[in-house]
Amino acid sequence: MSSCGAVVGGVSLDRVDIAKEAVIQGVVVNQGKPAPVGYVRLHDATDEFTAEVPLNSKGEFRFFAAPGNWTVVTLVPGASTRTKVSAALGVVTDLDLVVA
Amino acid sequence: MSRSEVLVDAEWALAHLDDSKVVFVEVDEDTAAYETNHIRGAVRIDWKKDLQDGVRRDFVSKEAFEELLSTKGIANDDTVVLYGGNNNWFASYAYWYFKLYGHQDVRLLDGGRKKWELEGRELVADVPTRTATAYVASEQNRAIRAFRDDVIKAIGVENLVDVRSPDEYAGRLLAPAHLPQEQSQVGGHIPTAANIPWSKAANEDGSFKSDADLKALYEAAGVDFAKDTIAYCRIGERSAHSWFVLHELLGLDNVRNYDGSWTEYGSLVGVPVALGDEPGDA
Repeated sequence: MSSCGAVVGGVSLDRVDIAKEAVIQGVVVNQGKPAPVGYVRLHDATDEFTAEVPLNSKGEFRFFAAPGNWTVVTLVPGASTRTKVSAALGVVTDLDLVVA
Repeated sequence: MSRSEVLVDAEWALAHLDDSKVVFVEVDEDTAAYETNHIRGAVRIDWKKDLQDGVRRDFVSKEAFEELLSTKGIANDDTVVLYGGNNNWFASYAYWYFKLYGHQDVRLLDGGRKKWELEGRELVADVPTRTATAYVASEQNRAIRAFRDDVIKAIGVENLVDVRSPDEYAGRLLAPAHLPQEQSQVGGHIPTAANIPWSKAANEDGSFKSDADLKALYEAAGVDFAKDTIAYCRIGERSAHSWFVLHELLGLDNVRNYDGSWTEYGSLVGVPVALGDEPGDA
């Protein structure tokens, strides 16, 4: 049985069939550097929470969404941002999110 | 059961870090998190290695649980404070698991590792050593655990609460969106189940909402508090979070967690499945 746990930075794309996924990924930048501590949340089109991953040491995150509109919410100590994004099957959407 | 008996905040935790009868336990699936750092004095329980049978899909035996807690230096009369990542999902699962085996005084650190980190509180790498104990567990308390046949009998009769995200409930996603979506089970939900995502019970920092807000949340979604309730998700850890809300914070008696959850139900042959945003008929 595989767990529901979120891997720091998101699950690797190795051995994942990208054609069957709608990937949203990126890096969170705080004060000009990748944020080493923080979380990114994915909200659906109705702004309901769908998933969350902790950032890895390079400030990176990754989600496997469904095609459609989403909101990416960043949480780092003392700051938060919201970014709207569209996801599509077979497409890796890359985001650079600057929180401060 | 009052909130203060099952939930502690950071101030309480800081005041008890050196209390020998209070054991902080980090519960994660991601073992790297604890190895990087953790709350000072905290021991680790690995959700997968320590709490799953490893061969069949089930929990470790009473004897194995006794050995685990004895090795970790946890005594029957210790206060156990659980916390972890993923908004305390796995810590909530461990809470329910400790209750399943009869531990008396278990509490959650409100907000778990995330709130602690976002508040910039101290985390250390030093691994503590605790003297081994001779822990004695109770037989499993089946009154808080549901199996697949209980769930099928509950369709249209009891409250079924699906705590996954709306897209998983509807069948548009097959797993939480931080995981690849190619999965072996079908999509959808158990007919008549209300969709009350676990996340609606928590604030953005991972802490639980107020009792009044929580009661209003479940009532508005049609949960009849006079009936028995079964909560489920995909593997039973997000629903342990909602079980904690219903059973421990709101004090409902007959609430069970279905740990087989959608990875079991969505693979069963011949059972009814509902698709879309509505609960569907029995």
